[in-house]
Amino acid sequence: MIATQKQYYFSGISIYSVRFSFWLQSLFILLLALAMFGPIVNLLIWTVTESWYFPNSLPSQWGVKYWLQVFNPYSDVSGSLLTSLLIAILTVVVCLLVSVPAGYALSKNSMPFRVFWMLLFLIPQAFPNLTVYMNIARLFYDFGLNGTLLGVVLVHSVHGLMFSIWISVAAFSSTDPMLERASRNLGAGPIYTFFHIVLPQAAPGLVASCIFVFLESLDEFTGTFFVGSPNINTLPLLLYTASMEGNYQIASITALILLAPSILFMVIIHKFMKPEMLSKLGK
Amino acid sequence: MTHLHIKDLQAGYGKKLILNNINLEVRQGEMIALLGPSGCGKTTLLNALCGFIPLSHGEILSDKRVISQLPAEQRNITMVFQSYALWPHMTVEQNVAYGLKVKKVKRADIETRVAELLNVVKLAGLEAEKVTALSGGQRQRVALARALAIRPDVLVLDEPLSNLDAKVRLSVRHEIKALQKKLGFTSLIVTHDQEEALVMADRIAVLNKGQIEQIGTPEEIYHHPSTAFVADFMGADNHIVWPIQDPGFSLNINLPPDDLSIYFRSENVSISLQATINNELNQQQNEGLIINGTVEQSVFFGNSYRISVRSGKHIIQAEHYKHLPGKTPVTLHILPEALHIYAADVKSSVLEKN
Repeated sequence: MIATQKQYYFSGISIYSVRFSFWLQSLFILLLALAMFGPIVNLLIWTVTESWYFPNSLPSQWGVKYWLQVFNPYSDVSGSLLTSLLIAILTVVVCLLVSVPAGYALSKNSMPFRVFWMLLFLIPQAFPNLTVYMNIARLFYDFGLNGTLLGVVLVHSVHGLMFSIWISVAAFSSTDPMLERASRNLGAGPIYTFFHIVLPQAAPGLVASCIFVFLESLDEFTGTFFVGSPNINTLPLLLYTASMEGNYQIASITALILLAPSILFMVIIHKFMKPEMLSKLGK
Repeated sequence: MTHLHIKDLQAGYGKKLILNNINLEVRQGEMIALLGPSGCGKTTLLNALCGFIPLSHGEILSDKRVISQLPAEQRNITMVFQSYALWPHMTVEQNVAYGLKVKKVKRADIETRVAELLNVVKLAGLEAEKVTALSGGQRQRVALARALAIRPDVLVLDEPLSNLDAKVRLSVRHEIKALQKKLGFTSLIVTHDQEEALVMADRIAVLNKGQIEQIGTPEEIYHHPSTAFVADFMGADNHIVWPIQDPGFSLNINLPPDDLSIYFRSENVSISLQATINNELNQQQNEGLIINGTVEQSVFFGNSYRISVRSGKHIIQAEHYKHLPGKTPVTLHILPEALHIYAADVKSSVLEKN
């Protein structure tokens, strides 16, 4: 009897707490959704707004006028989109040139001071961005690199190298050393082996690292601001000026343009990132 | 094909010495099995041969040419890897042709050679298949064809059958042996399976703790193991340390009075049911080791029964054609030539089964 009573007592508590936690959970999810999608919805609305004044909760006039303005070939947006793409592609090239040999070397356990070299590429990220970029800008000023495309590409590469080195070390580490041995065994020298056996094995990881570098470069603001402006105008810089001027339509459309490649590439990365490679990350 | 000569070889990883004082000659067209328990250094020896790890001492000669200082790609010793190490981004044909392409052989010649080899290993028709789509046995044969394509001086096989299931293993074992006979390549095969070594090899080198314990033909290794380790490893499953102060045991051979380690195989133990006929046995039958005991257990083994016989605190394994019930008193008799006798050392007496 006592046992049954106890059971009732406990089941009463548990039903009560389930109901309570259901509402709590719903509220939590709602708030989370609002926090995540609220700004995006707001942004989407702004892209198709022609006029929207306080205290209206919705725009008073809808339209795609600003889209036409943005995609006008002579507009600021088209120009900075091209600049952004060019810088991103060059940054990817620079990062690949460094991270392929470095990643291969660092993937070998025999490499001296391996951990030190790996950490070296993390250090710029360890300090506050502003300090790093201000000092880079000061240095670049001495070399005449301020306001040049090369300067901006180099700044983006400093940032991108962290991703590309760490990911390519993981990519090379996940290749089977026996495959390399088999190639040497059949008479191929180290360089032939690298290009015909090792590189194809590591390729998916390297593609993933390129995508990260590309996206990071496309979204980069602080470094470009200190080193590139006012001569070099990338999309994030344009976004900044547009929002400062209160031109929310242009800013929102620019943001949407920046969002598109991120989503596209995230899907691709998802395909290229192999679990065995991810498990080697940072090892 | 080539004569391979390993002289005083010493090698290891970093400061850890794995192989010591290895001397081995592989004659032209011969297949030698390196046999030993895991961790004895047999794979390390292959790695040293192929140039994947440096030697700390000694040299390797391939037809009088010193190859121990050459990089791996210049040795012309090819390997069939335990994991096969096929390149997953290539087809069967590309895998087999790789070595020839590296050597810049003419395209037409590559095609004929690859077709010829795929025929030999019975993979014709699978040229365009990705290696990842093949079964274990097929991958094994691609690896073999790939290693043979460049006509190596020596072919080494690192536990080539260990990743195959039992049935495929038996057939591939015979295929490799037949191929070796047919093409006559000089080869070394690493294995930890004594049966595999006995069937495939012309000679067997038994390795223990980085040293060669014995080299000989399969018959020599099986019937005349030169050390207690070899006897034990080659399946002499009974081990006793003599003298035994037990009335159940009597040994009638001329032996030095020292402590002895005696090994013998269960298949060489003959069982007779009369427990007390010792004195009535004729002189010839009386030679060797005689043990009186009782049956402890009898297990069906297909072609025979495996009988465990207890005598004092020892248990002796024997084979018998029929089942014997427990507690049956029996007399075991082992002929002198079936006894492998060594001077006992501390280590082997630890192994004593009691």
